[in-house]
Amino acid sequence: MEEKIRDDLLKLFQGRFNRVMRFYLETCTRCGVCMEACHVYASMGQIKYTAAYRHELVRRVYKKYFKARGRLWPSLGEAKELNENSLSELYDAAYSCTGCRRCMVFCPFGIDTQMVMSIAKLLLIGASMEPEILTMLADMSIEKGKSFELFKEGFLQGIRNLEAEVVKKWQTEAGTAAIPVDVRDADLLYVALAGAHSIIPAAAVFNAAGENWTLSFFEAVNFGAFMGDPARTALIMNRIVDEAKRLRVKEVCICECGTAFRVVKQLAGSLPFKVSSITEVHARYIREGRIKLDRSRYTDQITYHDPCQLARNGGVIDEPRYILEHLTDRFVEMSPEPRMNWCCGGGGGLVALGEETMDFRMKSSRVKADQIRDTGAATLVTACENCHTQLSNINDHYKLGLNVKFLSSMVAEGLIGN
Amino acid sequence: METIYYLVLIPMVYIAFTVFVLGTALRLVKIFRGPSAPGKLQIYPEKRSKWLWAAYDTFLFPTVLRRKPSLWVFLMLFHIAFILLIIGHLELIKEFAFFQIISHEVFPGKGFIGLTLSICLLYFLFRRFSSPVRELSVPEDYYLLILLFLTVFFGSEMDWARRWYYYDTISVDSYRGYLFSLITLKPELPYEITSSGHTFMLVLHIFFANLFLIFFPFSQVMHSFLSLPMNKLRRG
Repeated sequence: MEEKIRDDLLKLFQGRFNRVMRFYLETCTRCGVCMEACHVYASMGQIKYTAAYRHELVRRVYKKYFKARGRLWPSLGEAKELNENSLSELYDAAYSCTGCRRCMVFCPFGIDTQMVMSIAKLLLIGASMEPEILTMLADMSIEKGKSFELFKEGFLQGIRNLEAEVVKKWQTEAGTAAIPVDVRDADLLYVALAGAHSIIPAAAVFNAAGENWTLSFFEAVNFGAFMGDPARTALIMNRIVDEAKRLRVKEVCICECGTAFRVVKQLAGSLPFKVSSITEVHARYIREGRIKLDRSRYTDQITYHDPCQLARNGGVIDEPRYILEHLTDRFVEMSPEPRMNWCCGGGGGLVALGEETMDFRMKSSRVKADQIRDTGAATLVTACENCHTQLSNINDHYKLGLNVKFLSSMVAEGLIGN
Repeated sequence: METIYYLVLIPMVYIAFTVFVLGTALRLVKIFRGPSAPGKLQIYPEKRSKWLWAAYDTFLFPTVLRRKPSLWVFLMLFHIAFILLIIGHLELIKEFAFFQIISHEVFPGKGFIGLTLSICLLYFLFRRFSSPVRELSVPEDYYLLILLFLTVFFGSEMDWARRWYYYDTISVDSYRGYLFSLITLKPELPYEITSSGHTFMLVLHIFFANLFLIFFPFSQVMHSFLSLPMNKLRRG
């Protein structure tokens, strides 16, 4: 590797240093308590898929260039040169990690593997070795934010088509737009995904609850976060933050997308509006009596998959259960403890990479398939787009014969009075 | 030989303590002066009080107990024994009435603290020789455990000899004479310290302990200081 390229990469590495990253890089004792935490290791049994091994790869480069020991006695900590080989190892580590942070629950110190992997991902971007699809998707999102006027007309036409569907399926009061867009001083800004399934049921519930809401021009998904690129993550997130500020909304509601929710809720710092997930908002409507659900609508055994970014990493744990209590009598828990729930295996950009990662995603989610099968449920519900795609793939691959559904769609379908 | 004894027992101790204190302080300052991480790194569900739960995670290792109960037993024994060991060494410098709340003979533990530590360290070491922990380990993990084992073992032997075989040519007073002189920067080596049949054990004990102290600030043993703030981040 050329000296200049390596220096640039090391600058990127250094840019990720903060107090917490130093904690994580200095502390691991390689005790091995985290080993069984990773669903990839549990499913495939290779040491390279354990949390400690993954961050040790980053730590070896750290020891080589950022600690005197790396120069004086490199073999002490197996300090490793940054070159094509180590980058390719980092690729395997970073893009086999879904960032679910289950290992963080196991670690006696609480090392956040997702955060350490963000160094690996950033180095890969610097070396132009990151998955191109993710970069393309992220850059498209950013471009759309920059030259929004070009997309606006097409977007609005698309929304008008969806409105017809909302009105057809769920009668809304005459004279009100079924999907309001660009409403100043609305109480709630809903940030959806590009896709009718993320907009239509949500609109039905907002309208049924009499919410003063408006739909965001932008999609929630943050490909920058999947890439581990802080600059792109911020650009994509800020489009939403700026829109919310411009419209002076009181609350931003993120659709069923775990990563988008966590980025805005947990990683954005303090914001002049409340950030909620659509699951929290639906639970609130039920609690306040603003919507009523038909409890007899679903008669199958139902289980719920806690999306990692929403539950373990976002704190939305009781709300989906509360909603399901109002939709069915036949709910069965998947994991004795939601914070210990297995990752679906599709996070960290793996689902966004589509067919390219399919083989790996299926092999690495064997434990998830077993966990789902053990519930005996016929319907599998979740509240995250990524999880939904991955769980549908698992359903096909492992022939589980389940009905995989979005929680928000079930709420919309279960509305009484429509 | 006497020169070597002198070098290990006096100048090397000063060097080791200087590296340990300054190194640890500077490294901690460097780490804590870094910018804080953007956003929240908390794991849910949340429990209050966060500080108390963070302390619980830090000092009782509940995650280890749940996943690896046998490792937890050894870890707990090791860390408790290590604290008692520090108290024991402080008492070898001078008398502390406070520690005598539970009345005991100096050095506490009747020889069992060193024995516990030695067994725990052997457990940690042999654990690393077998898969899958072997694949995770790097040379420093072994060096560190071997270094600690040697330190503890030679130190314990003197304690065992005194407590179990009544071989007490180096008395508590001799240790106090030597260690107190080091602290008051008027180092001297009492006659018994350098001419006992156990002198070589003492010299080896202090030699390895010095190496450990020198290595401390640059190794993962820094978790002694970082574990609590890290666990606090996880608790939110």
